[in-house]
Amino acid sequence: MNYNWDWSILVSEPYMGWLLQGFGWTIAVSSAAWLIAFTLGSTLGIMRTTESRLLRWIGTGYVELFRNVPLLVQFFLWFFVFPEILPDDASRWVKREMPLPAFTTAVVALGLYTASRVCEQVRSGIEAIGPGQRAAGKAMGFSEPQIYRYVLLPVGYRIIIPPLTSEFLTVFKNSSLALTIGVIELTAATRQIEEYTFQGFEAFTAATVIYSVITFAVMGAMRVVERRTRVPGTVALGAK
Amino acid sequence: MIVLDKVSKRYGDFQVLTDCSTQVARSEVVVVCGPSGSGKSTLIKTVNGLEPFQGGTITVDGIDVGDPKTDLTRLRARIGMVFQNFELFPHMSVVQNIRVAQIKVLKRPEAEAHQKALALLDRVGLGEQAEKFPSQLSGGQQQRVAIARALAMDPIAMLFDEPTSALDPEMINEVLDVMQELAAEGMTMMVVTHEMGFARRVADRVIFMDEGRIVEDAETDQFFGTPRSDRAQLFLSKILHH
Repeated sequence: MNYNWDWSILVSEPYMGWLLQGFGWTIAVSSAAWLIAFTLGSTLGIMRTTESRLLRWIGTGYVELFRNVPLLVQFFLWFFVFPEILPDDASRWVKREMPLPAFTTAVVALGLYTASRVCEQVRSGIEAIGPGQRAAGKAMGFSEPQIYRYVLLPVGYRIIIPPLTSEFLTVFKNSSLALTIGVIELTAATRQIEEYTFQGFEAFTAATVIYSVITFAVMGAMRVVERRTRVPGTVALGAK
Repeated sequence: MIVLDKVSKRYGDFQVLTDCSTQVARSEVVVVCGPSGSGKSTLIKTVNGLEPFQGGTITVDGIDVGDPKTDLTRLRARIGMVFQNFELFPHMSVVQNIRVAQIKVLKRPEAEAHQKALALLDRVGLGEQAEKFPSQLSGGQQQRVAIARALAMDPIAMLFDEPTSALDPEMINEVLDVMQELAAEGMTMMVVTHEMGFARRVADRVIFMDEGRIVEDAETDQFFGTPRSDRAQLFLSKILHH
């Protein structure tokens, strides 16, 4: 193979700047999407475990809808189709005035998709606790929201820290799909560098390293969370 | 205090409870026994509305449990319940377990709730264990904490659902002793249990259930001396001779 290695492009402008900006957008898309995914997903997960048939039904419907359509298709639907089916005023606003259209759409698409997955994890965490704890909470006079706040969620979240960590990592990796609608995140920046310099190996090596650094940082942070929330005397609450 | 009148319950086509009527007077201790599957746990759970029922009425301290307008949450806060599997909150220390509902449900000041929790722990002989977590305690200790947790709410009555069935034999007595003290102090108690020794020593009345019906409801002496029904006699002969 006749390939001229040149690692220096990675630290020369404008390419280093592109990488850093790509890194920045990846972090921004992923964190904002995770915020949506975590709050909405938790709400839906809770809804799926309540005694209200209507709430359970809404939660189930959401999951089935968002989990079963490929993420890339969802990006396209939100970006190309959704603005067209809005009423005129709203449609015009989305197409012309909405700030950072590609970024916003990417955050919404990734956030709503990931929420369906977080929902299932929260649900499984709560269901793993068993009916006795809910009964105990009721018997003490807790209202249903109080049962979730003080009894079910503190235990349920502890149980699902490992899968939730994986989900958080997946958000960073899935955020690379945002390039398809024009967000110059890390993967898009890398491709751009390759096209300008033909140094694809160096560029993608850099991207790989940066993604790895992100995931290691997340894993480290989640490990701290897991240690801090560990209940004394238990190896893992879920193993009960 | 607790009045059950023709209570019936079914899961789909399966009739769990049929026309169960009985009463528990203030300061009375009533033991509910019977073979497994006889509906005794279900019956006791209908008293504080943990199990819904379709027929009949239950009133506790004059409040209609089955009435959809009844604030069950408020009623439950006044009735203590102890479960077979303790059901302590695993992520809270022992003292937090006893404090939490006092603070969040009864709106007691934290310091007062804390003092009350420590006093109750002393009373059940676990004053030293306040800062431990449930998983660091033995089953008998956990069940005593659960009793303390229920007592912290100053209940008007206590319901016990097989409180010693999940315990190793050597731990059963430490729990029964606490319950016996409680009975001696005049607590109104409804106890589902297989501990016939406890029933004989402590209960004022014994209810015997079979296939979802109350087959026998008698004074303790009478129940153990001359049970009227064949099924209760058979049950006693099996359970007392092992």
